[in-house]
Amino acid sequence: MTQQPGSGFGPDLAEVFGPSQQDGGPELIQLLTPEGERVEHPEFSFGVGMSPEEEAEVVRGFYRDMVLTRRIDTEATALQRHGELGIWAQLLGQEAAQIGAGRALRPQDHVFPTYREHGVAWCKGVDPLDLLGLFRGVDQGAWDPEENHFGLYTIVIGAQTLHATGYAMGMQRDGVVGTGDPDRDAAVIAHFGDGASSQGDVNEAFIFAASYNAPVVFFCQNNQWAISEPIERQTRIPLYQRALGFGFPGVRVDGNDVLATYAVTQAALQRARDGQGPTFVEAYTYRMGAHTTTDDPTRYRLSDDVEHWKLKDPIARVEVYLKRNGLADDAFFETVKDEAHELGVRLREGCKALPDPSPLGIFDHVYAEMPEELAAQRDGFAAYLDSFEGEAVR
Amino acid sequence: MTQKITLAKGLNMGLRKAMENDPKVLIMGEDVGKLGGVFRITDGLQKDFGEDRVIDSPLAESGIVGTAVGMALRGYRPVVEIQFDGFVYPAYDQIVCQVAKMRFRSQGRSKMPIVIRIPFGGGIGAVEHHSESPEAQFAHTPGLKVVACSNPVDGYWMMQQAIASDDPVIFLEPKRQYHADKAELDESATPDPLFASRVVRQGSDVTVLAYGPMVKICMKAAEAAAGEGKSLEVIDLRTLSPLDMGPVLESVRRTGRAVVAHEAHVNLGLGAEVAARITEQCFYSLEAPVLRVGGFDTPYPPSRIEEDFLPDLDRVLDAVDRSLAF
Amino acid sequence: MSEFKLPDVGEGLTEAEIVSWKVKVGDVIEVNDIVVEIETAKSLVELPSPYAGTVLALLVPEGETVAVGTPIIAVGDPNEAPAPAAAPPAGQPAGQPGAREVHEPIDTNVPPEGNPTLVGYGPREVVALRRARKGAGSPASPSAAATQSQVHASFAPGAPSPSVESDEVSDEPAVPATSARESRPTTPAETRALAKPPVRKLAKDLGVDLGTVAPTGPGGTVTRADVEAAANGAAAVAEPASVVDGPASVVEPVETTRPAPGERETREPIKGVRKMMASAMVSSAFSAPHVTEWVTVDVTRTMEFVDRLKARREFREVKVSPLLVLARAAMLAMRRTPEINSLWDEASQNVVFKNYVNLGIAAATPRGLVVPNVKDAQELSLLGLAQALNQLTATAREGRTQPAEMSGGTFTITNVGVFGVDAGTPIINPGESAILCFGAIRKQPWVVTSPTGEDELAIRQVTTLALSFDHRHIDGEKGSRFLADVAGILEDPASALLF
Repeated sequence: MTQQPGSGFGPDLAEVFGPSQQDGGPELIQLLTPEGERVEHPEFSFGVGMSPEEEAEVVRGFYRDMVLTRRIDTEATALQRHGELGIWAQLLGQEAAQIGAGRALRPQDHVFPTYREHGVAWCKGVDPLDLLGLFRGVDQGAWDPEENHFGLYTIVIGAQTLHATGYAMGMQRDGVVGTGDPDRDAAVIAHFGDGASSQGDVNEAFIFAASYNAPVVFFCQNNQWAISEPIERQTRIPLYQRALGFGFPGVRVDGNDVLATYAVTQAALQRARDGQGPTFVEAYTYRMGAHTTTDDPTRYRLSDDVEHWKLKDPIARVEVYLKRNGLADDAFFETVKDEAHELGVRLREGCKALPDPSPLGIFDHVYAEMPEELAAQRDGFAAYLDSFEGEAVR
Repeated sequence: MTQKITLAKGLNMGLRKAMENDPKVLIMGEDVGKLGGVFRITDGLQKDFGEDRVIDSPLAESGIVGTAVGMALRGYRPVVEIQFDGFVYPAYDQIVCQVAKMRFRSQGRSKMPIVIRIPFGGGIGAVEHHSESPEAQFAHTPGLKVVACSNPVDGYWMMQQAIASDDPVIFLEPKRQYHADKAELDESATPDPLFASRVVRQGSDVTVLAYGPMVKICMKAAEAAAGEGKSLEVIDLRTLSPLDMGPVLESVRRTGRAVVAHEAHVNLGLGAEVAARITEQCFYSLEAPVLRVGGFDTPYPPSRIEEDFLPDLDRVLDAVDRSLAF
Repeated sequence: MSEFKLPDVGEGLTEAEIVSWKVKVGDVIEVNDIVVEIETAKSLVELPSPYAGTVLALLVPEGETVAVGTPIIAVGDPNEAPAPAAAPPAGQPAGQPGAREVHEPIDTNVPPEGNPTLVGYGPREVVALRRARKGAGSPASPSAAATQSQVHASFAPGAPSPSVESDEVSDEPAVPATSARESRPTTPAETRALAKPPVRKLAKDLGVDLGTVAPTGPGGTVTRADVEAAANGAAAVAEPASVVDGPASVVEPVETTRPAPGERETREPIKGVRKMMASAMVSSAFSAPHVTEWVTVDVTRTMEFVDRLKARREFREVKVSPLLVLARAAMLAMRRTPEINSLWDEASQNVVFKNYVNLGIAAATPRGLVVPNVKDAQELSLLGLAQALNQLTATAREGRTQPAEMSGGTFTITNVGVFGVDAGTPIINPGESAILCFGAIRKQPWVVTSPTGEDELAIRQVTTLALSFDHRHIDGEKGSRFLADVAGILEDPASALLF
């Protein structure tokens, strides 16, 4: 990207439109090509310490995870089209980034997601049905963050990165960082997108994390788009290179390569658990769908782009790899397909059965100790509701 | 055993007590550690409790509050300092969208026992942004509780009570009082509850309501008024959200007249809410409309004329006279 | 069999065009298979099927635009005939023979209507209709309105719970906190008068001390009427039962008012004269034990006397009516039964006999019922009394009766006869002890004793007089005696000379 002489106001988007067609640069870490071929990397590898059978088992597990995650995503999108959800944030195309990062976590590691990490939620054992309430409008986050160490979805862009850093600072004070005990040592992973990297809070989180050497992995899924604005609007240099400016390492990994994402995230989390502080992991991927179900990408991007990235599909390359190397048989693929179908049915029926919250319930958890005036307001509202004949037509 | 202390000393002692009582209490903010805070409110605490519990933070208010959210989620009770009222705004998003709403969002599963200390108010001859009164914006945010101490004894007790509360508390400290009047502190006494207002001077003609730095002004005004044969009842509101209206209503039903005074701008200040409630609840007792005295609806002026901007004794008593004339 | 109704796929969509069907009748489909492409505004949307099964019918042809909610496709068992009934949505069991296997993600790159909201269901319709309230049914009913105002008052923070009156003025002490808090005695607040600001101003303007006014408003508040009454003296207010419209018994032409079509209720605020009248009636009726007696009397000779009066030169400019004679008769009869012109004064524990008669006549005015009185009526000659009554009636008809004219009455006459009514049980004007009700004068058959002592039937002018009196100090004997005396004078005006 070169500046136009005399313009002085940043790169000409038309000129640089289409960098997503680039391969992600020379420093992109990849262990499985889009064609399903294993490749080596000098610093990161997959399968160390595993027998071939164990390794195959893990990869089959990744495949299943990604298929089921995609099914959750597809079903929820359909539910939105059926009017059962008000909105849904699709992760289509980002399955490998999320499964790779998600499966690298230990139970005691804590996740701070955005609102698109359905794959990571899956890995942490959060019931996918619990994700739907927020999008249906019956709750603002139905699971207990401490139960699975998976935080509630945060809609304010980037705010969760500061929470993640603070949480990591708390872990330091709990003595669960750098003890050497694998069951005890813990880390935090903060998920955010390329757009979020421009937010002040995200940059402040980097500063705090570096200053206090906090055990937090900053995992950025660069899916190339923040609604309609391309990555070039957010940054003049590859995002992973920013980390150096803040004083900690940054790497870029092929976000559509589940093996590489897994290996890199595992290493970064271990660094944090060992007390070596934060790492920035940029998962280079593509948002195959719209920003949310009511976005219109045809207004701002070329279908060429999307087609190009279809060739890099994260699930397809693993399927090819498994089949070509005889690591999974037809029965396996059938089982996964059936499981996906069952999951879809369960989500669909579960979604429709999600109850609306009670209007009086909104007063319950505003405070730990409800002030008298609020209690009086609630009582007044109760009397008001009671004064009507029949139910409201809503 | 009692001792005479300033407000700064009372707050410091209260912080120390809270730190001693609960190892989960942390302090964080700019310059709070080694320096002990620009007003010395956290003086000596890092030395005694260590850098892990008294944390000097980078210069980033949103970062301070945002990481406090994370710490609270991890089970800690952070007490963060915003160095000056005018600098709370970078943290406003984290305060209003995260601190205030986390309990509600999680339906009670996550709690935010965070105290955000803010020195507020003017009258210290400062440059821009160091003399603000932003309390109404926080009082208008459900999920937050907002209190303002006015004297050293309240500073000591209210600090501990705010830290002990499982709700997030915006804790406003009248900076012009930090090193001013001293008061006797008896640590063995039983304190008033945190969310309670208090009659600080009894009277029969007009009820005057104030909080923070205006309490002293109103007490002085009451003294002057007594010389004119007017008996003012002065109430220190202490808690701005929730408001404790009980003593206020009881007083106005007796006097029939009320004047609310604060440094904050009159328009949409806390006085407006208090006036609305008094009017609704004491309608049949009112001899005069509820009057408000406050800063003008302009940005805070350069310090050489701040005394013209701030409501002083004369402006308060003018309002009292107007009330009595109805 | 299930029908898929066209959903709103993008915030506020009301209709869409069926662009192209992706399936045909007979195809077997799975849930989420794309079945149709629709067009909204600018964009095309692919719709996935919520049902699995066999496509039984495509209900809308390509190119047609239909509203949201219209069934567009029927899916079900191949044996079912497509019927228009809607069925609850349900997924068919998996493993339909020959089912298509596809679970392709929906391509959101061709989205619904590019709505800039982006974040949810979108705005909903607002209807200009109030919900029905419980109890009296309509939201306009008074009890419901009272509940509503109570309830709404409680929405304000710090408001009391609806179990407490929203305009209550109970003086609950502040929650006692700790020993460090001052406790306040609550007595001072309780004895302070309660009144709305406008009423306070009125009291100040009229020079009334609120503390001395008996409050009749809700919650023990002093009302405007209370202040006005206190300013005008105790008995200034209006009176019960009926309206007199001048001495002549002209019955008003029948005029009816009908409510506007469709109006189930018409509401008029309680204020002004109506309010004062109500307050007076209530205070009188529920303090003095009322007893009413009546007598039917032959007033033929009074009517003859009235005619003779009208013929006299001095009465030519003046309206003369039987009421004049009745008024004079009542004042004469009072001489024998002075209790009729007295007052039971509870406060001082005295019966106060008035040595003058301020004779009140109930009058209809444009503002309602008022009872002006003729001061010292006992002093007036018959002509003077006639003139005073004329004046009083004319002033009342013009609505210009002053408060002073309405205060200080000692006895009242109410003429229901002008409406063709015989009698009633009138309510005593507060501050007085009796009220006399004058009925219509009609020709009726009567038994007349001839001078020779024979009884025969004659047509005579007959009326009924009804007297309500305060039985605290006027017993049946006194009341009867007074009434009989009045009746006697009306029957034989010459007997007035006896008093």
